[in-house]
Amino acid sequence: MSAQLNTVMSSVWYVAKDEWRYWLRSKVAIFVLAIGLVLTLSSVIKTAFTMHGLSHDRNAMQNLSEETFMEQPDRHPHRMVHYGHYAFRTPSPLSILDPGIDAYTGNSIFLEGHRQNSAMFADQKQGTGLTKLGNLSPAFIVQVLAPLLIILIGYSTMSRERESQTLAFLVAQGTSIYTLIMGKILALFLVVCLITLPLALSGMLAIFQGESLFIVLGFLFGYVFYLLVWVLIVVFLSTLVSKNNESFTALVFVWILLCIAMPRVASTTASVSSPSAGKLETDFAVIAALRKLGDGHNANDPAFTKLKDSLLKQYDVETVEELPINFRGAVASASEAELSKVLNQFAEQRMDTELEQTQIARRFGWLSPNVAIRSLSMITAGSSIETHHRFLRETEALRLDFVQSLNKAHTEKLSYIDDINRNNGEEAWQRARVSAQNWKMIEGFSFSADSASTRFSRSVGAFAQLFTWATILVVLIRLAGRREI
Amino acid sequence: MTNVNQNEVVIESQSITVKIQNSTILSDLNFKVAKGEIYALLGGNGAGKSSTLKTFLGFNTPTSGRAIIDGRDVSQSLDMARSKTAYLPENATLYPHLTAKENVEYFLSLADINKSLEDIEAAFERVALQKDAWERQLQTYSKGMRQKTAISLAILREAPIFLLDEPTSGLDPVAIDEFNFLVKELASSGSTILMVTHDVYGACQVANRIGLLRAGELVGEFEAQDNHRIDTEQVHAAFAQRQSS
Repeated sequence: MSAQLNTVMSSVWYVAKDEWRYWLRSKVAIFVLAIGLVLTLSSVIKTAFTMHGLSHDRNAMQNLSEETFMEQPDRHPHRMVHYGHYAFRTPSPLSILDPGIDAYTGNSIFLEGHRQNSAMFADQKQGTGLTKLGNLSPAFIVQVLAPLLIILIGYSTMSRERESQTLAFLVAQGTSIYTLIMGKILALFLVVCLITLPLALSGMLAIFQGESLFIVLGFLFGYVFYLLVWVLIVVFLSTLVSKNNESFTALVFVWILLCIAMPRVASTTASVSSPSAGKLETDFAVIAALRKLGDGHNANDPAFTKLKDSLLKQYDVETVEELPINFRGAVASASEAELSKVLNQFAEQRMDTELEQTQIARRFGWLSPNVAIRSLSMITAGSSIETHHRFLRETEALRLDFVQSLNKAHTEKLSYIDDINRNNGEEAWQRARVSAQNWKMIEGFSFSADSASTRFSRSVGAFAQLFTWATILVVLIRLAGRREI
Repeated sequence: MTNVNQNEVVIESQSITVKIQNSTILSDLNFKVAKGEIYALLGGNGAGKSSTLKTFLGFNTPTSGRAIIDGRDVSQSLDMARSKTAYLPENATLYPHLTAKENVEYFLSLADINKSLEDIEAAFERVALQKDAWERQLQTYSKGMRQKTAISLAILREAPIFLLDEPTSGLDPVAIDEFNFLVKELASSGSTILMVTHDVYGACQVANRIGLLRAGELVGEFEAQDNHRIDTEQVHAAFAQRQSS
C-alpha cells in the first residue's frame, strides 16, 4: 500500500515537473508568469510605501491636531467646542496588502460640538476619475488578475493531453488519469505559491509591525486557498472539454462571471434588498429630530425649562443668576447629551443598514470565490466595514467626551454673569474666558484593528465558502476524469 | 473464423458487442491473435476499427462479450492488460516540447520503469531512429520518427502486445517500408501485433492475417499461406465489395 502510494506520489511529481518544463520552454507561459510576479511584487512594494506613508502622515497629523488644540490661548470654552479637533484612523499593518474600504470611507473625522461629521479624505473622493476603477493593490491583483494568469498558464493542462492523444497514450500504458490530474494541480499550485510569495514577504513585514502571526497566516492561507480553488476550476474545465480553444473560452467566461459580474451582482442585490436612505433624506430627518430638542445655545429656549427648574430646586435658589454653576454651560451639556443620543440613533441605523448590505453581499461568496476572498481579505486585514464602524463609534465617544469636557469647564469655571455679559465691551470679553489649561483634557487618540480572534471569527464564513468551492470542484474533477478518453 | 492454436492465443475478441448511446459500434465481434502474429483489422471509416482497439485498452466497456488479453478479461484485469500492451494512437505526437530521450524517460518514469541511458539508446538504435535526432524536440520530427520513438518506448516497457491505430497513415513510402520492417522484426522476436488500418496494400504487406470489418462486424478473414503474402487483389476485391454492399 505504502509502496503503491509512493509510486503514485512520484508519478504526480513527474507530471508536475514536466508541466513546468513545458511552461519554461513555452515563451507565452514564461511571459505570463513573469508578468504575474512583476505585477504582484510591484504592487506590494508600491502599496507598502503608500500605506507606510499614510500611517506616518496620519500619526503626525493626529499629534499635530492634538498639539494645535492644546496650544490655543485662553478662550470661551464654547469657542473651543466649535474650534474642534481631528481623529485619524491609522491603517492596520495588513492593509499594505488590502487597503479594503479605506480608500472609499475616508480616514479622518473632524470632531466638533452638535455635529457628527462623516469621515473625510477618501482617496476615491480626492483622486481623478480614473482612480474610481480601483487601485492596483496586491489584493486586487491576487483576487482578480491572478486567476486570469492561472487560466492563461493552465487552460490547456488537460485539454492539451486529450487533443494531442497523449492522454490515451498515457492511460493505455497504465498511468491513471487522476495521477495526471493531481500532477497538473500540483504544477499549478506551485505557480500559486510563486504568485503569493510577495504577499508572504509582506505578511512577515506586517508581523514585525505588530500584526498577529495567527491572523497573517489566516490571511495568506485564505489567498492560497482561493487561488487553489481557481486551479481546480482551471483543471476541471480543461479535463471536461476536448480542445484547447474550448477550454480557454470556457475559462475566460467563468472568470468574467465570477470575478467581474458576480461581485457587482452581489453589491446590487445588497443595495436593493436592504435599501439605505439617501443623504438628503437622512439629513432632513436628523434636522427634524434635532429641532425637537431645542437650541443648546439659547438658555431661554422652552425646551430647557425642566432643566432650569430641576437645577433651581437642586441648589435651592430662585434665579439662574444665583446658581453656583453657569446655567448656560449646563444647558449646553444637557443639550449635547440629548443631541448625541439622536445622532447616535441615526448613525446606528445607517451602520446597521450598511452591515446588513455587507452581509447580503458576502453571502454571494457561495456563488463566487472572488466574493468570498474579498470578504475574508478585508476582515482579516482589518480594513472591513466592521472596523470602520468601530472607528466611527470610537471617534463619536471621543467627540462627546471632548465636547462635554469643555461644557464642564463652561459650567464650572465661567460665571453665568460673565458669560451673558461677554459681548459688553473688551473687558467683559476678556472676562468670559477660561484658562488654556482646560484644553489639556484632550486625550491622545489611537486606533487599531480588531483583535485576531474577533477578525478570525468573522472570517469563518468566507473560509467555509472557499472550502465548499474546493470540495465541489474535487467531486466535479473526479466525475470529469471518468469521461471517455 | 480461421483456426488458431488456442494455447498461443494472446488477444481474443469473444463475441464483443459495444453500444454507445443506443448506437451499435461493434456487433458480435470474434477473432483471435496468436503470439508472434500480426493481425490487421481492415475497414473503412466508421467500421469500428479504433473502437475495437479502445475496447482492448479498456476505454470502451463491452455491452456483451469479452475482450481477452493474455487469457484475462480486460474489464476485470485492466492494469494487467495495460501493462502488457503498447498502444500507438493514429497521431502519436507524444510531447512535442520534449526530446525523444526526455519523452521516453518521462513515460518510463510514469510507468515506474527504470532504464539506463544505454538501454534507451539501444532501443533508439533498434528502431533506427537517427542519432542526431535523439536530443531534438519532437516538434521537429516527422510522423515516422515520432512512431519510432513511441515504438522504442514500447520496447523499453517490454510490452509483448502492440495495438496500432492506422500506423502508416500519413507516412511516405520509405517510412512505410521502415515501419513494416520494424513491425515484422517485433513479431519475429515474439511480440503480438493487432493493427487497424484502411490501407489494403499496407495490411497485405505486413500482416499474417487480415480481418475485414464492416459496421462493427467481422465479415471476412484472410490468411497468408506458406510464407506468401496475403493476396492483395483478393482482399481489395472483398473490401470494395463489402464497402459497396
